[in-house]
Amino acid sequence: MTQHDFLVEIGCEELPPKSLVALAEAFRDAVVTGLDGAGLSHDDALAYCTPRRLAVLVGKVIDRQPEQRVERRGPPVSAAFDAAGKPTRAATAFAESCGVKVDELTRINDARGEFLFCRTTRAGEQASKLLPGIVQKALDALPIARRMRWGAGTVQFVRPVHWVVMLHGDQVVPAEILGLQAGRMTRGHRFHARKPIALRSPGGYLAALSKGHVLADFEARRDRIRAGALAAAEAEGGVAVIDPAVLDEVTSLTEWPVPLAGHFDPRFLDLPPEVLVATLQDHQRYFPVRSKNGKLLPRFIAVANIESKGPPQVRAGNERVVRPRLVDAAFFYAADRKSTLASRREALASVTFQAQLGSLADKSARITALAAQIARVAGQDPEAAQRAAELAKCDLVTAMVGEFPELQGIMGRYYALNDGEPEGVADAIAEQYLPRFAGDALPATGAGLALAVADKLDTLVGIFAIGQKPTGTKDPYGLRRSALGVLRILIETGIGLDLRELIRSALDSVRADLARLEGKQPPEDLVAEIYDYMMERLRTWYLEGGHSITTEMFDAVLDTRPVSPLDFDDRLRALASFLRLPDAASLIAANKRIANILRKAGEQPSPRVDPGLLADSNERQLATEVETLRQDVERLVTARQYAAALTRLASLRPAVDAFFDHVLVMAEDVRVRANRLALLGALQRLFLHIANLSRLPG
Amino acid sequence: MSTKIMKMPPRTFQDLILALQRYWAEQGCVLLQPYDMEVGAGTFHTATFLRAIGPEPWNAAYVQPSRRPTDGRYGDNPFRLQHYYQFQVVMKPSPIDFIDRYLGSLTALGIDPLTHDIRLVEDNWESPTLGAWGLGWEIWLNGMEVTQFTYFQQAGGLDCRPVMGEITYGLERLAMYLQGVESVYDLLWTAGPAGRVTYGDVYHQNEVEQSTFNFEQADAPSLFAEFDQREMNCRALLDVSLPLPAYEQTLKASHVFNLLDARKAISVTERQRYILRVRALARGVASAYYASREAQGFPMLRQP
Repeated sequence: MTQHDFLVEIGCEELPPKSLVALAEAFRDAVVTGLDGAGLSHDDALAYCTPRRLAVLVGKVIDRQPEQRVERRGPPVSAAFDAAGKPTRAATAFAESCGVKVDELTRINDARGEFLFCRTTRAGEQASKLLPGIVQKALDALPIARRMRWGAGTVQFVRPVHWVVMLHGDQVVPAEILGLQAGRMTRGHRFHARKPIALRSPGGYLAALSKGHVLADFEARRDRIRAGALAAAEAEGGVAVIDPAVLDEVTSLTEWPVPLAGHFDPRFLDLPPEVLVATLQDHQRYFPVRSKNGKLLPRFIAVANIESKGPPQVRAGNERVVRPRLVDAAFFYAADRKSTLASRREALASVTFQAQLGSLADKSARITALAAQIARVAGQDPEAAQRAAELAKCDLVTAMVGEFPELQGIMGRYYALNDGEPEGVADAIAEQYLPRFAGDALPATGAGLALAVADKLDTLVGIFAIGQKPTGTKDPYGLRRSALGVLRILIETGIGLDLRELIRSALDSVRADLARLEGKQPPEDLVAEIYDYMMERLRTWYLEGGHSITTEMFDAVLDTRPVSPLDFDDRLRALASFLRLPDAASLIAANKRIANILRKAGEQPSPRVDPGLLADSNERQLATEVETLRQDVERLVTARQYAAALTRLASLRPAVDAFFDHVLVMAEDVRVRANRLALLGALQRLFLHIANLSRLPG
Repeated sequence: MSTKIMKMPPRTFQDLILALQRYWAEQGCVLLQPYDMEVGAGTFHTATFLRAIGPEPWNAAYVQPSRRPTDGRYGDNPFRLQHYYQFQVVMKPSPIDFIDRYLGSLTALGIDPLTHDIRLVEDNWESPTLGAWGLGWEIWLNGMEVTQFTYFQQAGGLDCRPVMGEITYGLERLAMYLQGVESVYDLLWTAGPAGRVTYGDVYHQNEVEQSTFNFEQADAPSLFAEFDQREMNCRALLDVSLPLPAYEQTLKASHVFNLLDARKAISVTERQRYILRVRALARGVASAYYASREAQGFPMLRQP
């Protein structure tokens, strides 16, 4: 069988940069799924994307499908032949549709009755006949947030489509895709290559585009930008600050990237560096430049999409854009500092946090109480936490945060310091939104930690209380992130707070506000629901986090309902190391067996083992060891030394094995039986101090 | 490589307008004049919002003075104005080479795309008050946004079929760039036989006085009353199937809302309610306008 590379390219008006890579990869994956589904064997598939194109190049796609087996069910036999045994219209029509004669049909007899059945083989279809459908299906399935129409047509896509290339080997695959006839003509750079480019074969795709000033390979383009930005910054005596998200976005905005350095007035260096970075990076997609000692330089690296005939004009243009933005920022910074943060608290009353949950002032009051409480329990300074919480939301009504919402908290810190607030308070204000994303830093100060937990819990509990908990993919208030943020802080900073207690406190404040604002009261069992929700987030975090934790291990610990997330984590770690012990498997089996026996026995075993009723030496041995271990284990559990406790428990293995080998639990004597169940109950309780091992796979 | 002689950039503000008008007239657009009421953007002109509705083709270009009371800075800020100009182009159905036509307009203004970095950066547009949205870009010229480019998908809650394409140039920004000035007030409006006149000569006093009015003098109680009255008028006019006069009442209500917003007379929660009230009017007008065109058999479809 012959095979040829396959290329499909969809040429568009400029695609949305933030979803470009996801679209390209989804396109590639769907094309591969389609090829596999059709039985068209192939080699590796590569995704290419630029602002003006999505392309998939698949190596060695076979030219024709293998022979296809066709199995089809026809009409019931009862309807297939008339009284004279002659085939009815239904039978002949079915045979015809299968391309065979009626007497070539077989029968199938199953639960549904007896039917005519066709079992034939069909020659495989040519790839060129199947590829259009595969591509169309892949395009239909792309994860496009909003499809659009253009002109007078009815076709819908991410952006208007201008050309479609489909080549299998050096042959155009005849197809109409997105309203256009597929061909071999692609386009180069919008300005550098004004004429269409003919592609001879898929293999020459990258080279042909490169001649047309298009670097179609995303990674290569990204590398070129990174290297170019670093070199341009180096020439300015600094280091380019390259945020990966900005780098990706710039890569998605250019086909032929040309980094170039620009300057701005050094007097703007008096602004907080975060403001400069927000202006340069978030608003303009420039890379800021730092000196070798880490301070920002009055420089930036812009990435043009053109090899300009007049680079100074491009540079001057970009410098012009930065100026008014920095002038604005400097104005806001000066104006904001004329009022204290504390004086802005009044204004919070007129800003809605959430219609049912009241204003930002209401939220502030709630988190102030909660943050102080958390700080107290966690052994931190409650006054700093309380002050920070009172001021926490005040920067939301400053001009700077109005213009740069991403600087919330950060500006609060600068303004608090300007007002002469203690450094601990100012830092806590900045830390309240941590962690902002997976892998982000956690609050470093005690007050910051209390405030960050309080703020997130208030949002989480409040939104649950008004019945808007996340569903499916809808999480408009970012509650998944909030829940995980709270858990990460409580675990990673090592403060063992009682999570249910925290939820209850937060909920009490929310209930009081709902009553005051005449809202509907939430159901009674909400604490449990929120706790369960958070535990599920925790499960996902462990399972996805490369912690080598399984869902069964998580359940084993969850069964013990640990009070604090920190305790949860300790138990889980201890369990993980226990499972590496040679005795673990046998003890898990024993725990399962005990759980089964106790469940079947139905009744609660007596809490006390009566030594007088221990008849067999094996059970006496186990009882002695359990009793000796009990005090050890309880002491270790109280000290939260779960790994040590489990290691001690592992020493029980020979006694447990011997017990099950030689002792019949369900003895005829009711009292002996009850006593043996009591012994097993005592043994189970020892393990349950740490985790429910019977949850683990045996 | 052939050397093409680039046009010289227009020297004055009015030359810029004339150049854009000439260019888009050549593209087949009806050259219109501004709508004679206060609006927040060129989109509010009937030539965009109402013509986006229904199946009839439509191509137009016009300057639209736009009022954004909250953007006033008493004439002190070199970039921000509460009254400024947009140059608006609409083509329906949007031609497949709409972007190329737009780029042609830049070339006509002496902006060489092989010298300057021209970029289309995703920026989708939504007008909550008009119940309209579309997908498109802001156009960056060496990093500066100079134009908004949108394919309308819905207007007044109705699907746009065919799709109207809309181009909105920020005239002051573009002129400042072309003239290389640092303050909008330094823009040369004209330099003819009667001498030089700057943007400041024409508009500075207006910015100072109108900012004062918007932020300090506008009378909130009477504006609230006016909003209610305009809303009532609009509904009454819709009841007697007069979509165009009804639309003017919607425009009035929208402007009154903007003034109240500038006066900070509307709380955040209330703000949303007012926006929804204007949107309800715009939707009513859109449906009524569609019905009126339909009743006439969509006259512009009859063109050869």
